[in-house]
Amino acid sequence: MIIVGTLESSDCLITIIPAETLIIEVDSIVYDAFGQQICHVIKHTLAKANITKAHIICQDKGALDYTIKARLETAIARYQEEGF
Amino acid sequence: MNRSYLFIPGDVPRMLQMLDVFDADAVIIDFEDAVALNQKDEARFLTRNFIQTHPPKAIEVYIRINHIIDDPKETMKDLEMIIDLPISGIVAPKINRLSLAKLDRYFEEKTSPLKIIGLVETPDVFFDLMTLAQHPRIQGLMLGAEDLTRIMNIERNLTGDNILWARSSIVYAMHSVSKEAIDTPYTVIHDHQGLAKDATIAANLGFTGKAVIHPNHVEGVHLAFTPTEHQILTAKKIVEYAKKNQSIRFNLDGKMVDKPIIDKAHALLEKYAKNGDKS
Amino acid sequence: MIVYDSVDILLNDLKLSDGMQLSFHHHLRDGDHVINQIMNAVNTRDIHDLRLHPSSIFPSYTAILEALKRNRISQLTTSYMNGPVAEYCMKHPLKHGLHMQTHGGRARAIMTEETVIDIAFIAAPTVDVLGNATGTIGPAACGSLGYAIADAKYAKTVILVTDNIIDHIENPQIKKDTVSAILKLKSIGDPKGIISGTTTITNDPVGIQIAKKATRLIEALGYIKPGFSFQTGAGGISLKISENIKQLMQQNNIQSSFITGGITQYHVEMLNLGMVKSLYDVQCFDLVAVDSLKNNPKHRSMSAHEYANPENPNRVIKNLDVVVLGATEIDLDFNVNVTTDSYNMIIGGSGGHSDTAEDAKLSIIVAPLIKARTPIIKQRVNTITTPGHTIDCFVCERGIAVNPRRQDLIKILEKSHVSIIPIEDLLALSHDYTGIPESFPSKKEVIGNVYDRHGRIIDYLYLKE
Repeated sequence: MIIVGTLESSDCLITIIPAETLIIEVDSIVYDAFGQQICHVIKHTLAKANITKAHIICQDKGALDYTIKARLETAIARYQEEGF
Repeated sequence: MNRSYLFIPGDVPRMLQMLDVFDADAVIIDFEDAVALNQKDEARFLTRNFIQTHPPKAIEVYIRINHIIDDPKETMKDLEMIIDLPISGIVAPKINRLSLAKLDRYFEEKTSPLKIIGLVETPDVFFDLMTLAQHPRIQGLMLGAEDLTRIMNIERNLTGDNILWARSSIVYAMHSVSKEAIDTPYTVIHDHQGLAKDATIAANLGFTGKAVIHPNHVEGVHLAFTPTEHQILTAKKIVEYAKKNQSIRFNLDGKMVDKPIIDKAHALLEKYAKNGDKS
Repeated sequence: MIVYDSVDILLNDLKLSDGMQLSFHHHLRDGDHVINQIMNAVNTRDIHDLRLHPSSIFPSYTAILEALKRNRISQLTTSYMNGPVAEYCMKHPLKHGLHMQTHGGRARAIMTEETVIDIAFIAAPTVDVLGNATGTIGPAACGSLGYAIADAKYAKTVILVTDNIIDHIENPQIKKDTVSAILKLKSIGDPKGIISGTTTITNDPVGIQIAKKATRLIEALGYIKPGFSFQTGAGGISLKISENIKQLMQQNNIQSSFITGGITQYHVEMLNLGMVKSLYDVQCFDLVAVDSLKNNPKHRSMSAHEYANPENPNRVIKNLDVVVLGATEIDLDFNVNVTTDSYNMIIGGSGGHSDTAEDAKLSIIVAPLIKARTPIIKQRVNTITTPGHTIDCFVCERGIAVNPRRQDLIKILEKSHVSIIPIEDLLALSHDYTGIPESFPSKKEVIGNVYDRHGRIIDYLYLKE
């Protein structure tokens, strides 16, 4: 399991757990306004890194897109480094 | 010449996305001391994504990387992640001839235009200051008094009497090559009077700017590095008198004015015009 | 004067019955014990269709929540509410709705008898044996009783609720003439809860930046001059602006005429330094203010009528130069929302917001452009609390927008060092960071009205789904 980021305001906490399929969970304080956008950023970033199997949890405290992407990229880099 | 270099931690989104709202002339995004060892990658990814999405407009951005000799692995990762970003340069900790040469070689190989601000924070480097100052990659040198006094086992105090030689050495070296001499930050966050004193000492010694560790310090530093209204009025008077009378040597309000003083007045007005609309 | 010591006996004697209009005030804020003790007794009775007029509702007023759940209340009229009662109201419509007034509008409605109150339960920190009352002394001293004065004068029955009865009060805020009885309880409030949660100067760098910009704006517009008056309230950014203004006044040796609204220790300090001639206090935000009101004759309490009633030609804020106010949302027409959040939940209300915006010569809104990805500027605010034609400027950390209706201000600023930016550009700038928010909850069922100070409906409240 990989955890990146924080639960501070304007940040998000990304968790990656090995899984047999692709599962994306988003929990955001701005879900009504930006939920779709957050999901889009996560899917796009995963696709670019060729991740097709993993359980991704995003706990969002109002992070902007660049932060969500950066936290996820960091998590993916660590995930791949650890040989999942 | 920037009056303020504001440090912003590289791994805190809340601060990163606000880096241009504090009126600092320049910011330094920190990958080194402000970031824990196991979070260096977070800072790199976050900063890279931020700069790519929101390229800096009205502000100069620098990144303080890790130390190329002490920690080559982390530092090479830092460099790889920032080399193509639209920033002004890097801040190199514990600068000396060797670390400067290594960094310069890396930038040359990549044909990068990035400039280097060297952090002067070890005793030995004071005897190489002129060599560093003259290096074309060097844009300025910044005093790092916290590390320096720690290594030398001396107290930091508000008068700064025990770092006077260090301060002046940097000022003289940088003035001799017309580059930036940047003072060490004032580290007591809520002491604005102490900040004003410390920044005034730096400005009087001839520093061109000062590092800043908290956004609330920017205004105080700018105040110290901005000429007073009286200074501006006097400079205007001198410049106008010289122009009107086509004279380079005259008596103004009982004071002798000659060419160096007229030049100085011109320089002061030029500097003020550049920063006049910011505080 | 009759003194009761049992809520139940009092309610029996009052013949509390279905459909009655009851009022309360909120000077004891989150430390109030009166509303809960009265409403707990009400809740045990088989009574329905009560109409409540608390001047504000705080999170600790849980007996109102219980009354709502037991279907005791059919209508709520207030100026500000947050916490569990607010949440419940937005999800469970009242038979006769939720009505959001302004502080000045509440006084106006009561004095014109547009609102007729059957029983006013007035928390009174000290009462004398004749039935006079004051808020400046007693175990639950809260200072000014400004929001309760209209109730004390116009309600059919006035009950002073106290925990401290003395022989004689020198300068009562409420006079015995209209008082029907006294209810003595063990405690009417917890002094700790009386202090507002937000009365310290902000240290947040973004807040400080906003305050700096707002101060320069006020200065550039020429308002900081001898005899000027201002109101900043008790928000962290507002207080920072007060502090900046104080410094400018000291540098330039300027004395101001008065400060009004909610009063804090920072305003008291200015009074004590001789920097302001008088404080007009409708509500004390901290205990320093309470103490000052008691001891300093230049620190005067005033009623909501004297403060902000639009039909009072001598209202204090008619002469107000500058007011600094907050916002949850602001839109391209400068309409401001401090009543609901962007998700249709009620989180506040006007209080004196729209009263002061309408009267002050210069009204400035201060707020961060983006708060945890939520842009403050909208195409259209979710709820209009204060109409845009009464708002002059918006100041955030990335710039200052001036209402195009105020070309006079724009002309002055063109000749100053303060730069301004269209509010549309600030909206675009915030979207550069946040992205464009998706559309918000549908507005189907109306559950309440928002009124301006004149009593006109300016917007509606909708059921939160």
